[in-house]
Amino acid sequence: MDLAVKDVRRHLGKFLATIAGVGMLVAIVLIMNGIFQGNIADGIWLIDNTRADLWVVERDRGGPFNESSRIPTDSYRSVAATPGVAQASPFISYAVQREIGGREQQFTIIGYDVFGGLGGPGRIVAGRPIRRAHYELVADQKLGLSLGQRVRLGIHDYTVVGVTRGAVDSGGNPLAYLSLPDAQEVLYQQDNRALDVQRARDRQRLEEAGYLPAEVNRLLPLLGGGSTTISAVLVVLEPGADRAAVTRHIERWLYLSAYTTEQERDLMLEGKLKKMTAILGVFRTLLLIVAIVIIALLIYVLTMEKVRAIATLKIIGAGNSVIVRLILEQALVLTLGSFAFGCALTIATQDKFPRNLVLLPEETLLTFIIMLVGGVVASMTGIWHALRTPPSLALGG
Amino acid sequence: MPVLSVNHLKHVFGSGELAVTALEGIDFAVEEGELMALLGPSGSGKSTLLLCISLILTPTAGSIELGGETVYADGWAHKEARRLRREKIGFIFQGHNLIPFLTARDNIMLSLELNGVGRRQARQRADELLAYLEVSHRADALPGRLSGGEQQRVAIGRALANEPPLILADEPTASLDTERGGRVMDLLKRIARERNSAVIVVTHDERMITGFDTVRRLRDGQFLQTLDREQR
Repeated sequence: MDLAVKDVRRHLGKFLATIAGVGMLVAIVLIMNGIFQGNIADGIWLIDNTRADLWVVERDRGGPFNESSRIPTDSYRSVAATPGVAQASPFISYAVQREIGGREQQFTIIGYDVFGGLGGPGRIVAGRPIRRAHYELVADQKLGLSLGQRVRLGIHDYTVVGVTRGAVDSGGNPLAYLSLPDAQEVLYQQDNRALDVQRARDRQRLEEAGYLPAEVNRLLPLLGGGSTTISAVLVVLEPGADRAAVTRHIERWLYLSAYTTEQERDLMLEGKLKKMTAILGVFRTLLLIVAIVIIALLIYVLTMEKVRAIATLKIIGAGNSVIVRLILEQALVLTLGSFAFGCALTIATQDKFPRNLVLLPEETLLTFIIMLVGGVVASMTGIWHALRTPPSLALGG
Repeated sequence: MPVLSVNHLKHVFGSGELAVTALEGIDFAVEEGELMALLGPSGSGKSTLLLCISLILTPTAGSIELGGETVYADGWAHKEARRLRREKIGFIFQGHNLIPFLTARDNIMLSLELNGVGRRQARQRADELLAYLEVSHRADALPGRLSGGEQQRVAIGRALANEPPLILADEPTASLDTERGGRVMDLLKRIARERNSAVIVVTHDERMITGFDTVRRLRDGQFLQTLDREQR
């Protein structure tokens, strides 16, 4: 006779409620695992998706994602002329907060050379990449835009030609891809009023410096701001090219910094992601401990509720194995049931989560093993108490 | 051969100045089919004697033989106390002590299965006992759904399941009214007669011991009086 099963059936409602409660806690642990891994995956996705051999950025800056980097647009031509470089593409990455799709949203604009350059969109789930030089946009579905929709950015309307899923920046914000000139216009183009204010300020500076009105009028157009900067140059090396030599050349002759994709990833992991990863790591460890402690307490309470029955079992001659099996089986059912419920809940809510959840099977398995071992070890306390229960407890009123 | 034989039993709790002698000089034997009542006020040593006979408490001195097998002898205790309890003693408790998550039938079957009886045979035997105790109609009910009297009948069924030579009943009528208590006592008498089991009933209610073969009164850990049916 399986006493554990009989007990569970007798208190089915209570047991299921306990499993649901602990399962929700397990779901929180798994979601925290997912957020932890999602934070890393999101942080390095854009770097990995770009598939560049080198990232050329502003001198001594950890750009373009970990730190801002601005270099002249035409610097990509100089990089392209470097011995060993097969292709050099201009690239812009810029986090903005603009009204798009009818609401104020935080997103990152990516500008790239749409005619064969690097840095274009990945994970397109509907539509196509950008094929025209202007007024086309590829947006992540998190922005809430649909194919064919026209959205206003800056002073122009753009048509959504492609939709991506999971194309996000290191903060989990969605990406919006534009052609390089469109991106520069959206990011740097000033409206007429702003241009008037800037021009008045420049005129005042020239006049204060002693220039005559005719000279001021001649110099003013030269001071006007232009869409002339990019964040980085993405480089593909020629087969067999010496990466270190190319890097040295770029750093020495172009006065820029160049990083490999691995270095770029390290910059991200050791920079922007480090603190958040540490915080999430601590949180998930604490949650795991709390979950195990709660399971342990529940098993202990379940055992304590049966202490008189255990004493009776002893007095009618039940062996220790019968009592151990009763407690251990319930601990296993509770742990397995809770984990299954937690997994199902996590998978069911995964897509509705505001951040990308990355559930690695090996990590989920490890969490399961830790919880199972924790549950079994915790049940030892209950077993220890049960085995110490004197049979005489069954006597008397 | 007596079912139970207790010789010069002594039990002391604590040691030194704090030592309390709970039992001393206890000698008695119970024969097959004998119905014995153990009377005494609180603190007289009834429970201690019951614990010693139940192989739960090892007495300080003296010996106990169960079915001719020595289970205690001057501090030595038999190693297989649980097996001996399972095979040779049936327990009936004051609070019934049925396993709350098992039905009436399962409570009886458990006792049989613990003794190695197969599931089908255990079920058949449990149903027979429930019929004998006139609670067949409550076989699938959980203890919480049974009346006090029904619970006690099921508990008696569990005690009888393995046909033990000795049945120990600890205040079996304490939680029942007089009428139901009387019926339980009648049932125990019937069991002693029909099944030839030795029955020891610990009680403080003198009204319940009519018809018992032997009545032993305990006070301060010693037998004060032993009366057989004729002497009463």
